[in-house]
Amino acid sequence: MERLQSIGQLEWFRNKILARSKTARTVVYVCITGCRAYGAAAVKEALEEEVKRQGLAGQVEVRGTGCHGFCAKAPVIAIDPLGVQYQEVSPEDAIDIVAETLKNNRLIDRLAYRDPGTLQPVFYLNQIPFYKKQVKRVLTRCGRIDPTQIEHYLAAGGYQAFAKTLSKLTPAEVIAEITASKLRGRGGAGFATGIKWKFTREAAGHPKYIVCNADEGDPGAFMDRAVLEGDPHVVLEGMSIGAYAIGAEVGYIYVREEYPIAIEHLTIALAQSKKLGLLGENILGTGFNFDISLKKGSGAFVCGEETALMASIEGQRGMPRARPPFPAQSGIDQKPTNINNVETWANVSMIITNGAGWYSQVGTANSKGTKIFSLAGKVNNTGLVEVPIGATIKDVVFDIGGGIPMGRAFKAVQMGGPSGGCVPKEYLDMPIDYDTLQRIGAIMGSGGMVVMDENNCMVEIARFFLSFTQSESCGKCAPCRLGTTQLHEILTRITLGRGKLQDLETIRELGQTITEASLCGLGQTCSKPALSTLKYFTKEYEDHILEQRCAGATCDTMVISACQHACPAGIDVPNYVAAIAEGDYEKAVDIIRERNPFPAVCGRICIHPCEFKCRRGELDAPVAIRSLKRFASEWFFKNRGPKRKPYPVTKKEKIAVVGAGPAGLTCAYFLSKMGYQTRVFEAQAIGGGMLGIAVPEFRLPRQVIEDEIEFIKNCGVEISYNSPIDVNHTVNDLLAEGYSAVFIAPGAQASIRTGIPGEDETLVRLYYGLRFLSYVRTGGNIQLTGKVLVIGGGNVAIDAARTALRVGASDVQIFYRRTREEMPAWQKDVEEALEEGIVLNFHWAPKQILQKDRKITGMEFIRSRTVYDDDGRARLSVDEKTIQTVDADAVIIAIGQAPDASFLSRDSQIERSLWGSLEVDKNKLSTNIPGIFSGGDFITGPSTVIQAIASGRRAAIAIDKYLQGDQSRVEIFDEKTETPLAAGLALEDEAAKDQQRVGVDFEHPQDRIKDFREVEKGYAFNEDAAREAKRCLRCDLERERR
Amino acid sequence: MEPPEINWDKMQSIIDQHRGEKWGLIPLLQEIQEEFGYIPPTAIEPVAKALNLFPSQVQGVITFYAGFALKPKGKYVLKVCRGTACHVKGSRSIIRLMQKELNLKEGETSADYQFTLETVACLGACFLAPTMLVNRSYFGKLAPARVTSLLDHYRKSKEDKTK
Repeated sequence: MERLQSIGQLEWFRNKILARSKTARTVVYVCITGCRAYGAAAVKEALEEEVKRQGLAGQVEVRGTGCHGFCAKAPVIAIDPLGVQYQEVSPEDAIDIVAETLKNNRLIDRLAYRDPGTLQPVFYLNQIPFYKKQVKRVLTRCGRIDPTQIEHYLAAGGYQAFAKTLSKLTPAEVIAEITASKLRGRGGAGFATGIKWKFTREAAGHPKYIVCNADEGDPGAFMDRAVLEGDPHVVLEGMSIGAYAIGAEVGYIYVREEYPIAIEHLTIALAQSKKLGLLGENILGTGFNFDISLKKGSGAFVCGEETALMASIEGQRGMPRARPPFPAQSGIDQKPTNINNVETWANVSMIITNGAGWYSQVGTANSKGTKIFSLAGKVNNTGLVEVPIGATIKDVVFDIGGGIPMGRAFKAVQMGGPSGGCVPKEYLDMPIDYDTLQRIGAIMGSGGMVVMDENNCMVEIARFFLSFTQSESCGKCAPCRLGTTQLHEILTRITLGRGKLQDLETIRELGQTITEASLCGLGQTCSKPALSTLKYFTKEYEDHILEQRCAGATCDTMVISACQHACPAGIDVPNYVAAIAEGDYEKAVDIIRERNPFPAVCGRICIHPCEFKCRRGELDAPVAIRSLKRFASEWFFKNRGPKRKPYPVTKKEKIAVVGAGPAGLTCAYFLSKMGYQTRVFEAQAIGGGMLGIAVPEFRLPRQVIEDEIEFIKNCGVEISYNSPIDVNHTVNDLLAEGYSAVFIAPGAQASIRTGIPGEDETLVRLYYGLRFLSYVRTGGNIQLTGKVLVIGGGNVAIDAARTALRVGASDVQIFYRRTREEMPAWQKDVEEALEEGIVLNFHWAPKQILQKDRKITGMEFIRSRTVYDDDGRARLSVDEKTIQTVDADAVIIAIGQAPDASFLSRDSQIERSLWGSLEVDKNKLSTNIPGIFSGGDFITGPSTVIQAIASGRRAAIAIDKYLQGDQSRVEIFDEKTETPLAAGLALEDEAAKDQQRVGVDFEHPQDRIKDFREVEKGYAFNEDAAREAKRCLRCDLERERR
Repeated sequence: MEPPEINWDKMQSIIDQHRGEKWGLIPLLQEIQEEFGYIPPTAIEPVAKALNLFPSQVQGVITFYAGFALKPKGKYVLKVCRGTACHVKGSRSIIRLMQKELNLKEGETSADYQFTLETVACLGACFLAPTMLVNRSYFGKLAPARVTSLLDHYRKSKEDKTK
């Protein structure tokens, strides 16, 4: 390579390179930057050897490149001209790749991306969903060129913009073009680049400096790293153009030392540029002088702040100073200095080559161009993505990112690192832009996007960021130095279970003060993570402080094991699982009954929050806790039966319970265990509440409920059936009869009306879900025929639809006004319904019920979907013009149930809530009348069985306290069972480490709809249950081990 | 065990290369750190003299940046990433495991100068979370079993420090 003396020589050189590379040959691009951590260097070597060995050395080029973007599947290779991408390639695959694909164009299934839905391989890069919505402008050469060879950059058109600048444009014209492009600083602040250049140009002083801020210190961000490693020349060229425009002669790239490969590639690129004469004196004979040197950081996050960075370049401690004066006026050595981020520089050459008009075709009104994001955390497709500014967060996290692993629920995405805020799910549709995100307290930032799911604790995340900013604070200004320490201390206390309610206000005040009073950007933004998590997840903070509950089950001091913590009733899961592993089923059921007297019911229909938090689930699949519970309780009732001796009555008070549902019976059970006499008043002829009248036989056989209620009765609880509490027998009457306390738990049994035209309850074949189910359940005779239409998306709707199939309907379709993800129904039931042939229609809201001669003929629907307003509130948006009319022979309305307090006498003094229920204290479930308590679905609205059970136990504890005159709060914290088992299970059993989740069988869909047989079968054999139980990691023992 | 002896001739030649260099303190310190694994406190005065600075200024820069150490490190410097993405994917338990296995607290070096355990705020390899560096090599998608086998490997290894 000889020094180029003119632009003409540059172009001559470029033509020669192009000619050399025009030999039509196959190129295998192997990422050896990021993927190197996963063994890519060995993959490249193996491919090179195989190519040689199989005689293809002249036709195939194996090229080491920068990042391909799809980091989750490292090591990644691409093959042209086929256009194929292979993923998770190991050196052993080289033989097949060369022999099959390179030699014979045969594609290899096992190395292709697998579509998670269809499970089919997707070979071609442009068809892989990860890439479809991306627009690669800055990263266009990354992954294609060898970053250590300047010839590649030249062949791809590099330095054309620089040549054009030197020969055809004046500095003012360059600045005008950059300004017209509306390019904004990509480091996070988003200042208009062209304007900054103008200021620096106009400032007095010589020499002027150009700086590239490559100190990418945000944890979670690696966009700049990829550009520096994969296409360093685009940065050098941008800086050179900037230097020309501003009139600078000296350039620095300040790169953090933690990026050794970037330093290596930059060093090579600079040497090659200098050798060719693209940097240095009299560049290309134009008289323009500009040189760039590398400055390495030394491990200080604050040096990403421009004034600290400049101090560091000058060899000093990296402490920021006040601005003004801004670097444009007085920077390095007090001379005018222009600092831009790596990605900003990387955008410059394409603007000069293609023009501002072309550049602004992509982006939003105020921010043009694309932005690179590094997608990381709890997301399937981690890696680098480049999208137009204005793409929505949902596009990036779900369409490109592939959503959350293990089917967990999205919780929030952290954008902008420790200077940014979190974006909760209400704002998923928000376009990503500098201005939009600021409105909700977040920032676009430098591009780091860390996704969090339901198993992350937002308080802990805030604490985590504060520990980072506190240790990185330079210490110069008091607000930041002291403020970060204070905030960190408060947040730490909260995560350790020692928080006070007062702390929340302190965090807000302190956060605001630090923001307003800090000297530099680090201090000014450090409270954002705390303030934004506090704003959107206030309840999580409150729960930590008041209830010692951590929503993500991560804060150690309040969580023994995640499963137990996730259970609303706090059952000691690991211990009963260990009991099952040892074959002691009776002990397992005893442990469950310490918190929940309905093990058999829950073993069938609990939605198992425990399994969603199960840490084993992070490895392969969660432990099948629900099925194990079922197995143990089935054994119990088969071998021990419901007989038992009643608990001794040791206290003189009697307590009355209204409603023999799960909440009421649980309350009575625990009161009885504490020594009280209890009587439950049930309006129906049978017990079980919603369990008894609503959950269908094929999900929960009646016998199971009967056994559990029988057991509870045998414990000493008295139940009076056909004994409603109403105007004839009021709550006040109960108190007069000598009951010292009353627990009201009648459930939520009123069906909600749609209020649409045609909703006339006297129409033939118009039903309400709950009534329909209870009628069938209690032996009523309904025969349906033909097409049945069900409206709703909750469990009642699904159950009603499946029941309709079993009582004669030939066809059942459900219409829900939102999406499948928004359906409140248990996903397991939805899947079973789909298997049975039920059709689900989404985005259709009911408009009108059609009838003829008082008989249902069909319904009209309009298109609908959920939209969120600027404050994050959801509402239903409908499109009146899009209508669907369907025929139907029967309609079942199941859009929800509500509590119905009409049974309480009108002169009752109990304080009502706004929505038809009672006002209760959340901690003690007490009403305004001493001695009267209320809980379960009646208070919360339709919820889950386990919530109702937890509510019943809470009420029992509260009533006991009340009767003892104890006014302290009810504290229900995680506790170990009295006789813990120490079995190590999966950690100690080699076989258990790799054991896949043991499945259960289901009745065949086409058979099971003929009658009401139970759909899901339990484990048939002790060995199956034992194998599954041994998969448990005994997270609860970690404490003792430590 | 004692830390390796300092080759003062080498030290002197490094200092001489940067003598009088404008803004040369940090590049000089970086070279010393790279060559010897730390900055011997006895080097502070010669460095200050060579750059016409006060020793307190040199000390001030050394203690400001996390990349400079005044105490020698082990043969294998283990840097576990505690960045956001790694944290979200469970780096805490990896750190705890390593502390237990090595019997070292964060920032400590083992008595035999084999291992130094450190945490870093972010390695930029977030897609591989949780990650760690052993000297210059990256290890990603760490799980407890992998960590213990890695540590075993390095305990038995007689490899060159730069690998």
